[in-house]
Amino acid sequence: MQPSLAPAKKELHFDIKWLIVAAIVALLLIFEVFPLIYLVLRSVFSTGRFSIEAFQRVYSYELNWEAVRNTLVTATLSMFFGIMIAFPLAWLVGRTNLYGKKFFRTLFVMTYMVPPYVGAMAWLRLLNPRVGTLNVFIQKLLGLPQPPFNIYSIGGLVWVLTTFYYPYAFITISRAMEKMDPSLEEASRISGASPLKTLFTVTLPMMTPSIVAAALLVFVSAASCYGIPSIIGAPGQIHTVTTRIIDFVYIGSQEGLTDATTLAVFLMLISNAVLYVSTFVLGRRQYITVSGKSTRPNIVDLGRWRILLTVLVALFSIVIVVIPFVTVAMTSVTVNMGKPLTASNFTWKFWERIMTRESILHSAKNSLISGTIAATAGIVISLTMAYLLVRTNVKGKRIPDFLITMGSGTPSIVIALALIMTMSGRFGINIYNTLTIMIVAYMIKYMLMGMRTIVSAMAQIHPSLEEASQISGAGWLRVLKDVTIPLIGPSVVAGWFLIFMPSFYELTMSTLLYSTDTKTLGYELFTYQTYHSQQTASALATAILLMVIVVNWILNKLTKGEFSI
Amino acid sequence: MASITIEHVTKAFGDVVVLKDFHETIQDKEFVTLLGPSGCGKTTMLRMIAGFEKPTSGLIKIGDRVVSGNGTFVPPEKRGIGMVFQSYAVWPHMNVFDNVAYPLKIAKRPKDEIKKKVERVLETVHLSQYAQRFPMQLSGGQQQRVALARALVAEPSVLLLDEPLSNLDAKLRESMRFEIKQIQREYGITVVYVTHDQTEAMAMSDRIVVINRGVVQQVGSPTEVYRRPANQFVADFVGTINFLKGEAKGGRIELQGLSQSIPYDGMYKGKVVVAIRPENVSLLPNGGQPLNGRLTNTFYLGDITDCRVDVGGQHLRVIANSRSYDTLTEGQEVTVYVDDFLVYEDDGRDDHTQIVT
Repeated sequence: MQPSLAPAKKELHFDIKWLIVAAIVALLLIFEVFPLIYLVLRSVFSTGRFSIEAFQRVYSYELNWEAVRNTLVTATLSMFFGIMIAFPLAWLVGRTNLYGKKFFRTLFVMTYMVPPYVGAMAWLRLLNPRVGTLNVFIQKLLGLPQPPFNIYSIGGLVWVLTTFYYPYAFITISRAMEKMDPSLEEASRISGASPLKTLFTVTLPMMTPSIVAAALLVFVSAASCYGIPSIIGAPGQIHTVTTRIIDFVYIGSQEGLTDATTLAVFLMLISNAVLYVSTFVLGRRQYITVSGKSTRPNIVDLGRWRILLTVLVALFSIVIVVIPFVTVAMTSVTVNMGKPLTASNFTWKFWERIMTRESILHSAKNSLISGTIAATAGIVISLTMAYLLVRTNVKGKRIPDFLITMGSGTPSIVIALALIMTMSGRFGINIYNTLTIMIVAYMIKYMLMGMRTIVSAMAQIHPSLEEASQISGAGWLRVLKDVTIPLIGPSVVAGWFLIFMPSFYELTMSTLLYSTDTKTLGYELFTYQTYHSQQTASALATAILLMVIVVNWILNKLTKGEFSI
Repeated sequence: MASITIEHVTKAFGDVVVLKDFHETIQDKEFVTLLGPSGCGKTTMLRMIAGFEKPTSGLIKIGDRVVSGNGTFVPPEKRGIGMVFQSYAVWPHMNVFDNVAYPLKIAKRPKDEIKKKVERVLETVHLSQYAQRFPMQLSGGQQQRVALARALVAEPSVLLLDEPLSNLDAKLRESMRFEIKQIQREYGITVVYVTHDQTEAMAMSDRIVVINRGVVQQVGSPTEVYRRPANQFVADFVGTINFLKGEAKGGRIELQGLSQSIPYDGMYKGKVVVAIRPENVSLLPNGGQPLNGRLTNTFYLGDITDCRVDVGGQHLRVIANSRSYDTLTEGQEVTVYVDDFLVYEDDGRDDHTQIVT
């Protein structure tokens, strides 16, 4: 007789994993999806009925058109120059016998952790059209009638955007290059192709999807950047979409808010399109070339070019990294910014100020609290999600992953605007004017970094390690606690800092979400820079820089060089 | 003519010497296998012939041309070698035709010649109908053939193969062995083949170079290496073998833990190791030297029965006829007959067979 195939009693299968997924999805729906959808709806239903009136009005202002044009032009140029810089650098540092390549690598990657507005502050000092230190130096050096550069221009904006966003491309391209099986290049060499020919016929074509993805990332980041255009663009009357949005919000009227919304929707559509292309079109095209053996990368001997190229890369790093950071550090101890830094012009006064002034300390405390909570909550969700993604087959596990990716791909300014409009009590939740709204915003924007880090760490742990614990009688929570977490510990710490650091010095969202009681460090620094004292702002920026270096060093030690940033 | 002359080549990465004083000449049209456990330095030697690694010292010549050493170093692309990589290294962004045509395109050959040659080589590796496919649409075995076709298309005089069959399943491996050998004869090329699989080495090579821990242990034809292994490592790595400890004196070897001895008229005196291949021991009288023991385990493998016999506390592996399986009982007293054996001096070390990587 055949065994009965009838199912056992139909019982409600209450899977705790499914509940967790559902809970995360619910949170994301409330705090991310709903506000963004509302933002789009609001732009077309501004009068209660469907109309594109708001769009017509906004885009009929010449000033707004100019802002859109500026945004597209600067983002496109920064993308172009960023890739032109990042690809050769990634190749030189990753695949050749360049001197000091490890050091250069750390240097470029670390720029990624520095808030972009620090670059704007530095270049403002260096390339001010009349008194910029570097400008005057070059003028004297070449005997020019006037300083050669003007930072308050489209060119200046592109320059600073490029120097601060090329690391995004550098990191993306370097990673793809590391993953490529070196024997693919060796096969080309043995077929008779020179190293250069190999670069162009094998390496470059295989890297194309990653390069395009990197380019799009730079484009979106540059287009949605607020710190740089607000510091550099404002004095030169160069508006971008982001600065216009903030201006409209500050006007405060209903109409202003509608105009801000309409511009934000434009920014959001661009970034969503880019996100779609890089995940669903390029993502599928990424060649899986990881091999089992011989992962030692193929090092190209630069021969007689070695010294020349090393000197060039060193010069590049001095101009792009060292000079700006040193400038900011020097500004922080200068009494009179019009004079050179001498013993009589030296002071610790501004450092004392940032350590003692009540308002600064209060803002720092706010940033510390909201950064810590955002990072901790973000990591808890990341850990859970990573576990569910890598180790289980629970239904719907891809949904939170998708939503978190989408949140991170949305421009900060859009997230903040959407939160303001939906979380101020109109829909039953009022967290406006509190730190909670900051924390929510930070989590939406930066949680992905933590999740990606942990997912990739967990994917490298063989499931049998966990199965061994399970067979010994541990439930899945216990397995997580006893085996998984200890093994991925370093990545968890790294992921935590990847959420914490950008939240800690965040500017764009804080500018929209702050209230008198909930000012953040980034906002405080920005107001000092623009209105009160550039030296005080520089002291704060230098403190942040030092913190970035220390965190980077800790992460490097903790993961034995495997992980920085 | 493309012989490969390797003169006293040593390679070190930092302080770690991975290959010590490799000295050998590979004749034109010869099929030579570098055989050894992983980490023994065989792949490093191959990569030095290809030009992907520079020897720390020594000289490498291909034909009459010095490619490495004496202050010259010819980069891989100028060596005119074909090579098949373990991971195949078939470019995912080119279809099969473009992959295979690549070496000819680099050499700037006319289009119609490229087409003719690629078609010919694809036919050789039985891939003609796949010319327009992309690697992702091919199985591992097919990708392997693409790699082979690409290595052959420019008609190099030297072909290097780095564990090309290790990622294939057992059946496919056997047929590829045969095909590679066929192709070598057809094209009349010199082949250097790297593997850790002794059966592969035995089946295909004219000569085998056995390497362990960066040192060449023995060079010889498959029969020489199998029948007269130079030392215990080679004896153990190539084929299966039993080692029994004993003492040589007065024309006999007394086996340790056993009041039995076997006749011996070799050169060694004192402590020795007797090496016996399983096929040279029989449970049936074969005219060999009888030894008494106890049957501890039997494994029925279909074509044979694999038996373990305890001879005075030492284990002896014996291959028996599969039909005898039913008559054997574990634990029973048996007599085994040894009709051939090798003797090595016992230097007190038991780690000959240990693989250090």
